[in-house]
Amino acid sequence: MIAREYDVVVIGGGMSGFMASHTLSRKGYKTALISQGDPVCSLSTGCIDVLSRSKDPLSGIRELPDDHPYRLVGEKAVEEALQFFSQIMDKTAIPYTGDPRENREILTPVGTTKTTCLVPRTMAHAQGDAGDYIHVVSFKGLKDFYPSYITSRIANSSFSLFDAKVTSTLSIATRFEEKPFLDEFISWIQDLDTPFGTIALPAVLGMRKPMAVLEELSSKTGRVIFEIPTLPPSIPGMRLFRALKSTLQQAGGHVYWGKPVSSVERRGSRIEAVTLATSGRPSRVYGRAFILASGSFVSGGLFASRTSVQETVFDLPVFVPGPRTDWFNHDFFTPGHAIEKAGILIGPSFRPRESDLENLFVCGSIIAHSEIMKNHCGHGLAIATGCAAANACDKELS
Amino acid sequence: MIKTDVVIIGGGATGCGIARDLTLRGIHHYLVEKGDFANGATGACHGLLHSGARYVTNDPEAAHECITENIILRKIAKKCVEVTGGLFVRLPGDSRRFRDTFLKSCEDVGIPTEVLSPSRALDLVENLNPAMEEAIRVPDCSIDPFRLCMLNAFTSRHRGGGVLIHHKVIEIVKEKGRCIGVKAQDRFSSQVKEIRAKIIINATGAWGDQIAHLSGSEAPMTLSKGSLIISNHRLTNMVINRLRPPSDGDIIVPNEAVCLAGTTSVPVTDPDAIEVDPREVDIVATQAEQLIPKFGTTRLIRAYTGVRPLLKAPSGDSRNISRGFQIIDHNNGMFSILGGKLSTYRLMAEKMVDAIVGHFGVKVSCTTADVPLEGQEELSGYPLSKRLKEMDNIVCECELVTRDDVEGVINSIGTKHIGDIQHRTRLGMGPCQGGFCTYRALGIMQEIGRVSPEESMHILREFLQRRFRGIRPALWGDQLREEQLVESIYLGILNMEQHQ
Repeated sequence: MIAREYDVVVIGGGMSGFMASHTLSRKGYKTALISQGDPVCSLSTGCIDVLSRSKDPLSGIRELPDDHPYRLVGEKAVEEALQFFSQIMDKTAIPYTGDPRENREILTPVGTTKTTCLVPRTMAHAQGDAGDYIHVVSFKGLKDFYPSYITSRIANSSFSLFDAKVTSTLSIATRFEEKPFLDEFISWIQDLDTPFGTIALPAVLGMRKPMAVLEELSSKTGRVIFEIPTLPPSIPGMRLFRALKSTLQQAGGHVYWGKPVSSVERRGSRIEAVTLATSGRPSRVYGRAFILASGSFVSGGLFASRTSVQETVFDLPVFVPGPRTDWFNHDFFTPGHAIEKAGILIGPSFRPRESDLENLFVCGSIIAHSEIMKNHCGHGLAIATGCAAANACDKELS
Repeated sequence: MIKTDVVIIGGGATGCGIARDLTLRGIHHYLVEKGDFANGATGACHGLLHSGARYVTNDPEAAHECITENIILRKIAKKCVEVTGGLFVRLPGDSRRFRDTFLKSCEDVGIPTEVLSPSRALDLVENLNPAMEEAIRVPDCSIDPFRLCMLNAFTSRHRGGGVLIHHKVIEIVKEKGRCIGVKAQDRFSSQVKEIRAKIIINATGAWGDQIAHLSGSEAPMTLSKGSLIISNHRLTNMVINRLRPPSDGDIIVPNEAVCLAGTTSVPVTDPDAIEVDPREVDIVATQAEQLIPKFGTTRLIRAYTGVRPLLKAPSGDSRNISRGFQIIDHNNGMFSILGGKLSTYRLMAEKMVDAIVGHFGVKVSCTTADVPLEGQEELSGYPLSKRLKEMDNIVCECELVTRDDVEGVINSIGTKHIGDIQHRTRLGMGPCQGGFCTYRALGIMQEIGRVSPEESMHILREFLQRRFRGIRPALWGDQLREEQLVESIYLGILNMEQHQ
């Protein structure tokens, strides 16, 4: 058995776990982050949805029910957390743009628009209303992107297909990292016969340095260019989580990747350590405090059986909104299924309310009453509660 | 205006079987179906080719019909039937007396049985409940209802018969009190075709009374809803029945890579307004778990429900109504065929055609019991190794359906209906239930100019709504995870919630 000791151990490598770890390692704590592997949110658009109901997402927080976790964090702390996120990303190859106080509309692969707040700079020009004169470029054989959806909804638009010889977003993104491929693509764009100056592409402009690819493309062709987020597997989502992981490691945070928690060591009302299932000898990770950021159902932080819902790491009591027959609405398009309220009830210090565990804090979508799909607040809530739980943990440890 | 001898309304097993029988006896006809083949009870049953054993104790006549037809269909419809064999399993607490009656009745009816010890039964089906007391082997089989309809219709189509799917009968044309034809409306173009015929056959199952009313007659029935669940794995290679009087959740049928478990029995009035109640799922899942404990931990793909069109019963439990069938001569040029079962569809078709041949002076007798279904040799099955080589071309990853398969169906039947592609290729039949591939299939339809982007979005919305109805009653475990992911795609990434 390999044993290591940390100040804080964060369980979950999604947005909230990374933001909690970043917050604590900036404050000088020795942190470890444990993840089963690439998080489910790397399937996301990479855009930071904060709250879609009002023009200023932060002012919308006041209208949320009292038990929504945003209310616990508070408007000001949410804003600070979002700024902290932007600062982190500014130092990476995928800087973000946007104002936490202003929502924006971006174009989707079916030509609808989607409300979001902070976006990767490759999507800076992706506003729905600026899309009035666009030429969509897609790739031959790409399975999840059909440009005619977009051109049918936008009057002054057209599209053409480039043959990248590969057909998945991931393999096209990899090709964009090769200089000869990029040059060939640039000259193809230069020869395009279209009156529309702005070019929209599915988000495939390289995995590591998309802004550099985009800038070269833009300067050599003299056109405004932007990316449209695609269906999973989503390159912007993967870029985001790779960047968060490497910056955390650079800042001194330890990362256990691909290693699920297999057991928990408790002493009285404290968690002492967690043991990880590894391929070689098991490792035990000790901590003074623990942060649970394991996500909701999709990520596996919660698991529903036919009659109940379990929290999968510590077996914490879970708030379940009524019997299974009432978990889902009858209509697919009516937002806000009751099951979205399921999760861990927390107190003001982000500790689980119905557990006696003293050194455990909870953040992200596993918190009860988050209702992420209903409010379109996934990454925003993860960032805000990740920072807030880390701050609560800091207060406790110092 | 189209002229023919017989119009058959309904493209389920009975209607398609009648079409084939008429073809073999040389009577011209048109079959009109409002949806795709197997749209009603045929496509929403458990796909069991009964040995008859299920009915021996209460309905020996129906049981006898079942075993006779079972033997015939194994011979004439080889590519539709999987000869799995079946077991009736007696669990602790199940009546021994019922078991004795069961064995005696099987013998009376002529259903071969073999009593197996628990260890022999477990050798055959290792996932069975090891606490079982014994099992009785019977010749139950698994049958593919959709393929069965397609093949029966194939004969008709290739020998001059007319087959119109996605055409709804909106009017029965009458002259001097006699039915002389139908008006059928194309579901997509709304165009109306008039078809004139000497005889009209109403083979619409649960919709029988509605169609009879169009001609001013009645076809009274008792409608009973039966709900089933689908597991993501094939947990048994044999049909598994519970050895006790018929009741909820007493059967598990293997089908391709999955298992179907059913069924419930709930009286209903409107065949178009039915859905699965999550409580029915609980009942069936709990019972299935008793027969095969692994059912409790296996991911469920979805639930579905169909309406049994039973003969009219005065009152009481619809399970006790005869599974026999009845032919009504409305004495106005229309006949209705009511009741019956998928397993006896061929016999029903034979009797129906026997009842009308006199009108055409035809003396040819029925040959459907001897002539194998045409078109079976063209069915190739699912060559996995071949499909895996075309990974770049795969549209549906769950069922390995390629773009060429999808384009093939779109071009051959000229459809805009996503269900037609699903039925013919298995697109969207796997664990994600079309969550990913339907969007792609619609993109392809758009690229080859079959639908406009607006139509495509409309079809996608309709599909997602219908899909959710099937998944919703059985949402927990991994299927709940998958569903939330699908929701985040359509309502999150694509924001289809606001854009109608």
